[in-house]
Amino acid sequence: MRRLSGRGRSALVIGIQGIRARKLRTLLSMVSLFLGVLAVVVVQAGASIAEKAMFADIELQQGVEGSKTMYLGAEPNTTKIVLDVTKGRHDVIAMVGMQAIIGEPGVRPVNEGGSPIGENWGGGPGPEAGGAPAGQAVEVRLSALTGDVRVFRPYRQRDGQWLDFATVPSVAPRLVLNEAAAKAFQQYHVPAQMRMNGQQQTVTPRFVGVVDDANPSPTAYARLDEVNRWNAGEQAAAPNGGPSGDLQVLLTASTPVTQVLQTRLKAVGADAYVDTVQSREEMAKELRLIRLIFLAMAGLVLLIGVAGILNVGLASVGERVEEFALRRAVGTPRLLLAGIVLTETLLTGMFTAAAAIGAGAGALRLVSMFLGDREPFLADVVFPWDAGVAGIIAGLIAGILGGAVPALRAAGIPIATVMRA
Amino acid sequence: MTALIELGGIRKTLKGQKQPRVILDGVDLRVDPGESVAIVGRSGSGKSTLLSVLGLFDRPDEGSYLLHGQEISRLPERKAARLRSAEFGFVFQRFFLLKHLTAAQNVAMALVNGQGWLPRRERRRRVLAALEQVGIVHLAKNKPAKLSGGEQQRVAIARALVRDPRVLLADEPTGALDLETGTLVIDALHAATERGCGLILVTHDRDHAARMGRTLDLQNGVLNERVLA
Repeated sequence: MRRLSGRGRSALVIGIQGIRARKLRTLLSMVSLFLGVLAVVVVQAGASIAEKAMFADIELQQGVEGSKTMYLGAEPNTTKIVLDVTKGRHDVIAMVGMQAIIGEPGVRPVNEGGSPIGENWGGGPGPEAGGAPAGQAVEVRLSALTGDVRVFRPYRQRDGQWLDFATVPSVAPRLVLNEAAAKAFQQYHVPAQMRMNGQQQTVTPRFVGVVDDANPSPTAYARLDEVNRWNAGEQAAAPNGGPSGDLQVLLTASTPVTQVLQTRLKAVGADAYVDTVQSREEMAKELRLIRLIFLAMAGLVLLIGVAGILNVGLASVGERVEEFALRRAVGTPRLLLAGIVLTETLLTGMFTAAAAIGAGAGALRLVSMFLGDREPFLADVVFPWDAGVAGIIAGLIAGILGGAVPALRAAGIPIATVMRA
Repeated sequence: MTALIELGGIRKTLKGQKQPRVILDGVDLRVDPGESVAIVGRSGSGKSTLLSVLGLFDRPDEGSYLLHGQEISRLPERKAARLRSAEFGFVFQRFFLLKHLTAAQNVAMALVNGQGWLPRRERRRRVLAALEQVGIVHLAKNKPAKLSGGEQQRVAIARALVRDPRVLLADEPTGALDLETGTLVIDALHAATERGCGLILVTHDRDHAARMGRTLDLQNGVLNERVLA
């Protein structure tokens, strides 16, 4: 670490002596500045925590920033073209979505329509309609994939493993469940029998892992070739065969396939809509604006604190005219006198920042402790480092602004008139 | 031999009044190393102004000021501060001790002035040596409020001596002290001249002036050699 120069060290030593000699004044300056710095810390911490909470799952749901998603209409030849283009590629994958019921045959799933457990989206006839009795079955959204979707949506592995696309397709489809599905299966003791929507044939899938995909609805992921193999190929892969079937093509930002795919789809009259994921950027822009507005308000409170430091600083220099003149008489340069005053106000700003950061971190801990059960994002929230940095910067700025004028006054004190008095 | 201090035709006029007032009107002065000089004169005769010029607190309007043969009357403030630190020691009538610091810290003030940096141990050694020189090393940890006037002035002298100056400038250092204590203070200042330090003492006290090598009378802005009867 680079050591301070002689002047820097002198300023620090004398500044600390000055603060120790005027503890009450320093405390009063800190009190006047505290709210301003605390406001900056709170705004920055709040914005960071909100941003983190909002961004935490956005990539899982919307996709990696800059990647593209192609939504396909219900054209008969689209699936064939998509499978043909995506075959063997890692920069583009197809995702066929369909509904499936896993559980006891001949019963209604506990979440008809694939709704989150405990919410009724009204996807079925309802018990009063006289349909099959509700039983140990869960309706899931089955996403059949041609490749590793985590390149586009970085699902967090919670248990087991992800789908292995390098091996030969298994006869019994291997499924990776999301946390909502895994929880539902555990809760309702669902037997491992799966049937696709509108089909009678059942299969016993193999559950190989659990991921967090930030989706509250029960979802399962499988290899498309394994689903096809079980389901006589064409039918399952036809995205519009079921009531909720769809086909999405996920493309990396740099893949050269996009244009090829669009051209081929256009040739068969398919309507392909490509959407580039920019949700993070848009959200960040909105958050930035809100943060700036609040920081401006915090800045105003900080200015009041600066006025307090300035006031105390000017009074202090007025009281210490003899001291500064004497210091000049023994050879202290004007610049160092200004440095001494600035050091004192900067240290005051830093102490205030430390107190405000401590108070902010403590308050956040209490909020997390008492409100964590009600608001999950508060459960394991930690004090963001950038709020600490913002607090220190606010303290330093306040120290400089509040100390500049007193520092100039101190530097301009004449020796002769004071020492002669 | 090169003079320690040599003033030639120093003029200083106080401005900012209706009539500018000439305070120093062609002052000539030579002080050799180890020499002690007393400057006497009536109140308002310009003794303190002369001391301000000598101590580089103030600049003369005209004239030359040589220190070891080097012209220093027009130095920029930065260099003047460096010279004040390295070459001069100051003792004032009012002791100007900082009440929140101990005697040792008050003395150390002259070492912690941004002109170089001494390690703490070396600082401590020098401070204690300076306090020893003026006979109050046992009071090093006392704050000014617990010291008598004479002790406080000796702390101020230790502060002036701690950097081993070549010139000691004392502006009525005994003015606030009784006769006996004043004599002790003059003893302490005199002792410094034995180590080759030049001493310029501004005083009203004829007895203290008589102990100096020479006595000069400042009258009408001019210094005259004076023989004390």
